[in-house]
Amino acid sequence: MNIVILNGNPDPNARELERYIDALTAELAAKGHEVNAHTLRDMNIRSCTGCWSCWVKTPGMCAQHDDMPVVYTSVMAADLVLFASPIIMGFVSALLKRANERFIPLIHPYLVIDRGECHHLKRYTRYPELGLILHKGADADDEDIKITSDIYARIALNFKTTLRFSIQTSQPIQEALHAIAAA
Amino acid sequence: MRLLLLNGSPRGTAGNTAILLKHFTEGFLANNNNSAETGYLKRAIDHRKLAEKFTGASAVIIAFPLYADSMPGIVKDFIETLGRVRGKGPSPKIGFIVQSGFPEAVHSRYVEKYLEKLARRLDAPYLGTVIRGGVEGIQAMPPFMTRRLFMAFRSLGRHFGVTKEFHPIIVKKLAAKERLSMVKKAVFRACQSIGLTNMYWNMMLKKNGAFERRFDRPYQP
Repeated sequence: MNIVILNGNPDPNARELERYIDALTAELAAKGHEVNAHTLRDMNIRSCTGCWSCWVKTPGMCAQHDDMPVVYTSVMAADLVLFASPIIMGFVSALLKRANERFIPLIHPYLVIDRGECHHLKRYTRYPELGLILHKGADADDEDIKITSDIYARIALNFKTTLRFSIQTSQPIQEALHAIAAA
Repeated sequence: MRLLLLNGSPRGTAGNTAILLKHFTEGFLANNNNSAETGYLKRAIDHRKLAEKFTGASAVIIAFPLYADSMPGIVKDFIETLGRVRGKGPSPKIGFIVQSGFPEAVHSRYVEKYLEKLARRLDAPYLGTVIRGGVEGIQAMPPFMTRRLFMAFRSLGRHFGVTKEFHPIIVKKLAAKERLSMVKKAVFRACQSIGLTNMYWNMMLKKNGAFERRFDRPYQP
């Protein structure tokens, strides 16, 4: 499998999530998977400005010049994309959220009825499956994990795919590997 | 009442959130004892100052467009700043307005859960979340199509200015349908088959000379 990890940990000194991602990457590589991890805090990822150039001016292309094209290329070639973030104030980091909303060039502006609701039309024929890796710090509880995971299931729906699992860094790496194998 | 309105739209003063807030504020200020100040979350550099204002206000309303099924990154950024600068103790009353381009309210219900929890996290009395769909394109609509929407936001503001609460009936009216009914779905499909559902996008695509390229796949592996 081609697996992409988007590491949304904004603090390089918060080591737990980093260690988890490193260990997971090593295990996946040992199993023969191709793993590309992008550390978002080291990249130039700007906020979506809502200009909609990507929908109505240069279809499929964002007007901003930063490091997102690296992510787009990588994500569209992947079988599975893992979003990794600590829970901060009850949700994923602003850093990861910022990257997530920059995904809109990958879908189409047209609305269609999908599973009984209005959602955007696909731009590509195939999208990667999604998974969440959350680090629940001292400030977070199970309700935060549930709220965040539910929102990411909706993000998956609009990204024309499925959120296959949401795991926490408190769970053994083996459980993450099982979840990934099942996805 | 001193109300702080925080506009969480990445489009700032030029966005649809600003239009809805303008009507809300007009209604709110109909009561002469009220004063309102609007802050923009568009630039992260302003967040610290606005987080300090947040603490001093008697009530705060944060309004934003739904971005990838939740708050825009800049709004999350502000919430993180709030978490850092806020001292211990209670916060002002807090309410939210979430607007989106989707016609149904269901899309915004997931972030609503987050916002309700956020109020608890901030030890702030929760005023509720106003959800409104179908907002994209209002700037291109003729006045007769937006008149009722703007009136509803003005009366929401007027009631808020008197009772300090979102009027539940107006909130319900604004949220409209949670999901599309069978009839609405059939109408949507019929409109779709004759190209009516995407009229707004097609108009913009044609204006930009990009219509023929609308299905481009620049990142196809």
